[in-house]
Amino acid sequence: MSDVLIQIVASGLTVGAMYAVSTIGLSLVYGSLGMLNMAHGAVLTFGGYIAYYIITTLGLSPLVGAPAAVLVGAALGLAIYVVAALPLLRTRAFETSVFIATIGIGAVLENLMLKLFGAYPLPQPLAAPGGIIVGRVHIPAQNILILVVSLALMALVAVLLQRTRIGRAVRATAQNREAAQLMGVRVGHVYALVLAMSGALAAVSGIMVSSLTTLSPTMGADPMLKAFIVCVVAGLGNIYGAVVSALLLGLLEAIAQYVVGVRFGFATLLILVIVVLIWRPYGLFGRRQVVRL
Amino acid sequence: MAEPLLLVDSISAGYLGRNVLHEISLQVEEGSLVAIIGPNGHGKTTLLRAVSGLLGLHGGRIALAGADIHRRRPDEIVAAGIIHVPQGDMLFPDMTVLENLQMGAYLPAAAARMNQRLDEVFALLPKLAERRSQVASTLSGGERRMVGIGRGLMAGGRLLMLDEPSLGLAPILIDQIYEVILRLRAAGRTIVLVEENVARVADKADRIHLLDNGRFVWEGAGSELMSRPEILATYLGG
Repeated sequence: MSDVLIQIVASGLTVGAMYAVSTIGLSLVYGSLGMLNMAHGAVLTFGGYIAYYIITTLGLSPLVGAPAAVLVGAALGLAIYVVAALPLLRTRAFETSVFIATIGIGAVLENLMLKLFGAYPLPQPLAAPGGIIVGRVHIPAQNILILVVSLALMALVAVLLQRTRIGRAVRATAQNREAAQLMGVRVGHVYALVLAMSGALAAVSGIMVSSLTTLSPTMGADPMLKAFIVCVVAGLGNIYGAVVSALLLGLLEAIAQYVVGVRFGFATLLILVIVVLIWRPYGLFGRRQVVRL
Repeated sequence: MAEPLLLVDSISAGYLGRNVLHEISLQVEEGSLVAIIGPNGHGKTTLLRAVSGLLGLHGGRIALAGADIHRRRPDEIVAAGIIHVPQGDMLFPDMTVLENLQMGAYLPAAAARMNQRLDEVFALLPKLAERRSQVASTLSGGERRMVGIGRGLMAGGRLLMLDEPSLGLAPILIDQIYEVILRLRAAGRTIVLVEENVARVADKADRIHLLDNGRFVWEGAGSELMSRPEILATYLGG
């Protein structure tokens, strides 16, 4: 029994940490701009492919490949800001139009990857070999690496938001955009930073997801959907809630897969979303919205 | 005559292409307390938002100490020295009182004098020192108002614009807020005060401007206004 528990906790935490990394970016962007970035999954996939291209095709070190993928992810995030968010920001139905615009960008990126790398699944070369034995359970080093990298990234984001001047500006903008402007925050810079960060985190998440499965142009859809689920459960825009919810959902999925079967893992998450939306529509960690008429 | 600190020169501004303000002008001299009064929904807040750059102009110009500012971004206007304490406080709800105040000194020039300003704000608003680690969303209405004003003061600035600092507060708290405003004025600050209640500002302001339907319909000294019952009756319902 304890072996089962170790197995569930190990895989649940790995998966949950991965969800968390892709959710933070999505949530940061929604929190600051009110923008649901539907190209997030494509950016995530792109990051995975860049790592593949540099390590496998160019034969360079993973120490070059991973940072390059992160940089490309950040650049894609910035490009999404410049191409989609910036021109739409002053329009009235920003939330709807930017949602549709990013669906378009996602489709373009996906087809670009299809053209560049083909539809055939490719292996992600960036993976740690070996593993450790806990009890009688083999835990792959790759899972541990994913957990460690994810936790480190979350800590980094937390320090950035809590301890730095620009981080305070990001939080201020998310909590009250106009007030932040009246404090002298140049919100355009905050938006650009947040989208770049989101893109960088998506790229890392893309490398991690593809290292457990394979690379394919549409592989970003599933992690993005999971990230949306985490966001709904946590309350959109709440980053700390997102981290906790992601880890809990990862564990819940692992438990459901063991108890009722692998194919019910995703269904369980969806049921949870329905329950949360009925019980607490503003999310577990969201602030209750007061609508003033 | 010397150049006014703030010059608003026949500006028009509004929302969705419709003007709320119609070619209105205003001058604020250095060191004076200017009150803008008028009924709700007639453009008082819109005027402050236009000055601080949150709202673009449809026409006219705004200058601070002779330099045009109406084409600048809000952050540039703050840096130039216009501090806007908005209506309804607009605090950062998930930040503590101290973090809110620190945000007030966000720009480098203010950040360099952060500790000195914090001492000044705590001396003026001692309640904030007590509540410094409390999260803003858990404060009472009066405390929030004080954080809003304190946050504005953290920026330093040359011109302080307060949008209805008495809104929604109990009379005893309003007295406290006005005491603070008078102390700021005595310290030589230039203040633009938006207020709905004429009696509150009549004996305090150097100049009063009455805004009605997006136009200034009367201006003069406070004492003068109280002796013109017909104006009070026409525009302010008594």
